[in-house]
Amino acid sequence: MDNLVAARATMAFSLGFHIIFAAVGMTMPFLMSAAHCLYLRKKDPAYLELTKLWMKGVAILFAVGAVSGTVLSFELGLLWPGFMVHAGPIIGMPFSWEGTAFFLEAIAIGLFLYGWNRMNPWVHWATGLAVGVTGFTSGIFVVAANGWMNAPAGFDWVDGVARNIDPVKAMFNRAWPHQSLHMQLAALQAVGLAVGGIHAWLWLHGRAPDLNLKALRIAMVLGAGASIIQPFAGHFAGESVARLQPVKLAAIEGHFETSRHAPLTLGGLPDVETRTMRWGIPVPGLLSLLAHRDADAEVIGLDRVPREDWPPVLITHVAFQLMVAIGSALALVGVLWFWFQRRGRFPRWFLWVLAVCAPLGIIAIEAGWVVTEVGRQPWIIYGIVRTKDAVTPVPGMGYHFGLFLALYLALATTTIWLFHRQIQALQKKFGG
Amino acid sequence: MIDILILFIAASLLLYVLLGGSDFGAGIVELLPAGRFRESQKQVINRAMGPVWEANHMWLILIVVILFMGFPAIFTTLMTALHLPTLALLVGIVVRGAVFTFRHYDAIQEPRSQRVYTWLFGLSSLWTALWLGIIAASLNRGIINPATREVWGAWFAPWWGLYPLAVGVFVACIYAFLASIYLVGETEEPELKRRFVRLAAWFNGLVVLSGGFVFLASLTERESLATTFLRNPLNLAVVALATLLFIVLWVFVAQRRTMLTRIVASGQVALILLGWYVLYAPNALITAVGPLNFYSEAAPPATLRQLVIALLVGGIFIFPSLYYLFRVFKMSHRTDSSRSGRG
Repeated sequence: MDNLVAARATMAFSLGFHIIFAAVGMTMPFLMSAAHCLYLRKKDPAYLELTKLWMKGVAILFAVGAVSGTVLSFELGLLWPGFMVHAGPIIGMPFSWEGTAFFLEAIAIGLFLYGWNRMNPWVHWATGLAVGVTGFTSGIFVVAANGWMNAPAGFDWVDGVARNIDPVKAMFNRAWPHQSLHMQLAALQAVGLAVGGIHAWLWLHGRAPDLNLKALRIAMVLGAGASIIQPFAGHFAGESVARLQPVKLAAIEGHFETSRHAPLTLGGLPDVETRTMRWGIPVPGLLSLLAHRDADAEVIGLDRVPREDWPPVLITHVAFQLMVAIGSALALVGVLWFWFQRRGRFPRWFLWVLAVCAPLGIIAIEAGWVVTEVGRQPWIIYGIVRTKDAVTPVPGMGYHFGLFLALYLALATTTIWLFHRQIQALQKKFGG
Repeated sequence: MIDILILFIAASLLLYVLLGGSDFGAGIVELLPAGRFRESQKQVINRAMGPVWEANHMWLILIVVILFMGFPAIFTTLMTALHLPTLALLVGIVVRGAVFTFRHYDAIQEPRSQRVYTWLFGLSSLWTALWLGIIAASLNRGIINPATREVWGAWFAPWWGLYPLAVGVFVACIYAFLASIYLVGETEEPELKRRFVRLAAWFNGLVVLSGGFVFLASLTERESLATTFLRNPLNLAVVALATLLFIVLWVFVAQRRTMLTRIVASGQVALILLGWYVLYAPNALITAVGPLNFYSEAAPPATLRQLVIALLVGGIFIFPSLYYLFRVFKMSHRTDSSRSGRG
């Protein structure tokens, strides 16, 4: 395995693994706190049961998220010393704030998990909420660092060295608002739907129906709500990418030739050799309209940059299509949810739909990060430093990749097994 | 600015060793044969570590963030030359954290899976302690050579040898010693208390022995500790004081003054670290081509200012929260073990 490819694979896999747990850490504490609040106010023991069930999920997933996040903070240096040596001083600021938020999160989770009957119930409740707030905040901060890689700011690049470093400007880079808005909503959406989907499935199988319906109603507030808002946030992100990284947009859309009245191709596979889109359905002018709010606007194509500066077009395009397809379907599910909720009952088939949708949000998050990261290639700092120049000189990265692949697969398998056992225990308690 | 950051790194490392270290030490303790104490010991360790281990682990993250933002050249040199031991350390950190949590939150508690968790928890704790020591020892050996790309010289030689291994063993013994001392105050059960006191005595001996072994092993190094460490009167005083404090420690143990024993043991470890800091400060690394020190390798002032602001403002939130965390779980003498977090 080529060292650069192996290092990229390791980073992609580490991030892809961590992002699931990070999303859970940002969202699930809110669900847990909502159930806990309902218990404290209504004294309905079902809500207490639910709080504790979700708490166990948070505990397990947070631990895996914390350790895999630790790995990432080291991997920045282990895999990309040529990046960190420049980027550390420029973009360390959001990391330092993320670290602060994460530290508070670690303290809050200790207080919440073990604080039952040790403090005032509402203070205890607040520590649970604090886990969510600090987790959510650290997510916002860390996306700022990624935003900077897409829209570098806060320094002058002189002869391969960063000068006049302004960390504040770097942190408030132009990609941060759309990226963090999109990601934070995605976390709420994906985890809300995943939790809702699991409880819908359990309800369909007749297990603890009261508990599962209560769980479903709480989870879907976030899941369905965020699903409806997300397409707008996604559009905002797309417009920003058109402005900040036109080449990434061109790769996303398989847009080879710069043109006015550019079409949006639904589906299809870009063929880099012939520079054409195959098997797609072109909608004339729509890309110009979406990217620049004008159906006749010029959209820059891949022809504007040398071939070696193209990102992998096929991967970027397919990942984007997958994300948008899922996002659109989930928005519809979100609308249906609120419609059925108004009517006061949920048909069985809809609960099946929810169960099927459980993993979709997480798949969309993964696809979205593929778009962001692969679409930025060949750059690690867009337009400034190439990924191949940042990679570690340490040989044998293939082994590094293999090691973490094995370790994380083992962790993932164990985590799934543990959740299976949680459900088994729940079944024993409530029957079904 | 740079002084404040050096202080933060030094303090974070101390707190990581004292707090995070004792969590790893608890894992090492669980590796030992425990006979009929197996289950009760596990419960005590779950209860003692459960609420605080995530926070204790954060000190390490803090060090990493300060290094890569404030001292990027030091961070990248370290992560390149010590790639392999860092990787080993990370594997240990991942397995330890995950398995400790899995053991506690597994919905079906059965002897077989619990045994596997405990075994992995202990093994990964020992493993992580060893590699942290190896990394610490490798910083100042003068072997790291950023210019070389020769496989052995660049990626193995910096951390290979008897001396790093000796420091690794020393760190593991310190961790287990701290854990045993701290655990004495975590249980009211007289027999279990006696077991932890006995373990503390054993590890006390091992700390002294492995400490001596570190000095012996350093004779194989370019510069042995006998010539560098012991020549400095401050270092001599530090080692002498740390050793003398063992007497004070055991007086307090005999008097069952839990808090004081904890403070004295922590103080001993702090003294050892202090000796290490004094020996090399303000150098972070000593490479084959000379030292990399914190002053010459620091990021531009604008960056350092933001970093210090983040640390100070963060500290305003973190320290009171930490105090609250420890007050709730470590200072109230409740022993209602039946309600330990599983609820």
